[in-house]
Amino acid sequence: MQEMEINLTVNKKKYTLKVPVNITLLDVIRERLHLTGTKEGCGKGECGACTILFNGRSANSCLILAPQADGAEITTIEGIGSVEHLHPLQKAFVEEGAIQCGFCTPGMIMSSLYLLKENPHPTEEEIREGLSGNLCRCTGYAKIIKAVEKASKEND
Amino acid sequence: MNKFDYYRANTIEEAIQYLDEFDKDIKIIAAGTDLVVRLKQNMVKEKHILDISRIRELKGIYREDGKIHILPLTTHSEILESEEVKKYATVLREACSTIGSPQIRNRGTLGGNVANASPAGDSISALFAEEAKLKLLSSEGERVISIEDFFTGPGKTVLKTNEMLVDIFMPEMTEKEIGFFKKLGQRNALAIAVVNVSVKLGRGEEKNKMDKAVVAFGAVAPTVVRGERVEKALISESLDSPEKLRYIAQLAWREVSPISDVRASLKYRQDMSINLLYEGLLELYKNNWKG
Repeated sequence: MQEMEINLTVNKKKYTLKVPVNITLLDVIRERLHLTGTKEGCGKGECGACTILFNGRSANSCLILAPQADGAEITTIEGIGSVEHLHPLQKAFVEEGAIQCGFCTPGMIMSSLYLLKENPHPTEEEIREGLSGNLCRCTGYAKIIKAVEKASKEND
Repeated sequence: MNKFDYYRANTIEEAIQYLDEFDKDIKIIAAGTDLVVRLKQNMVKEKHILDISRIRELKGIYREDGKIHILPLTTHSEILESEEVKKYATVLREACSTIGSPQIRNRGTLGGNVANASPAGDSISALFAEEAKLKLLSSEGERVISIEDFFTGPGKTVLKTNEMLVDIFMPEMTEKEIGFFKKLGQRNALAIAVVNVSVKLGRGEEKNKMDKAVVAFGAVAPTVVRGERVEKALISESLDSPEKLRYIAQLAWREVSPISDVRASLKYRQDMSINLLYEGLLELYKNNWKG
């Protein structure tokens, strides 16, 4: 299989990697960088579990070929907070109990992060639209939406 | 995932050279929101993948000589953020707002949606209503064709294997022109349309009269189709009541030739074509020329 050298910045850290051309950015993040917070759900861009920020915009990392990520600046869930210092969104998800199995949570947080960056004070409807690319199969969405509302108030 | 060799073009010229070199055995990737899924399912027969996503000449929106140009690698999000589109291509804007999800709109491109040629492609039906034209380029030269002449079937276009889409442009909508895009899917996000309808009307001098009507239906035939009977009626009739609009919308059942599939039955698609068209026309009527 053809391999290619790619340079990318993930969570402000620079990497140079040699990768097969037919793997996805999600594979690179999980298998090569061992950042396993980003999940693979459907692998088709429908569930949003693999959501990251790609050059500042939310994207499904399962749909980006590794070579297409060459030169990109990427933020994953590991890049926004730590156990000691949770991001306000992470804190709000915990406080609102917006988590059950947790598989969708990193994607939900990354989509919420992008939403609040674009629109710091979204209405409930705008939150629903902002999270429309992310599926949760446990909780329903009420607590997740509440958590995003709560985090948005920190923007005041 | 399919095995393939990967090539990256940084200019249109380079892309054309690759297309000539690997004639018939090369597939273009833009953002990949559709193609990567197909690569994973081993559904791509070409052994060479040409990445055009870095070609700067293929990105951006500009106005020139009464036309608005949306270059093929412009993303749906960029289209939604554009002030020019908001003013001069409102039908397309509405369609782009319903595509996929925020993540998909951030990556997916207008050119990708067009070249994919899905009969249900939301932006395609809107581009029909916007009377868009496409510029295709190969080493043999360029040609400009109307969007309606581009598609030959599901996933099939007149694009030659050595040719690429380099420009998408349409007349700027004037103050007299109004329109809408309506879509019915199984859910709001990430749903392939069961039916979509795009309409552009030009208001005439007389009350309740139109001097222009372009109507397009998606997902109800092998390609997006124009609704010519509906268009004729929208121009010849006086659009003076909801009943009249209902009557005209019902002409749609003769324009569409849907199939029954996992998403909807033939009859449901026919009925929904009529209903979406009626709903859209009624909104235009109430907001623009009623009473």
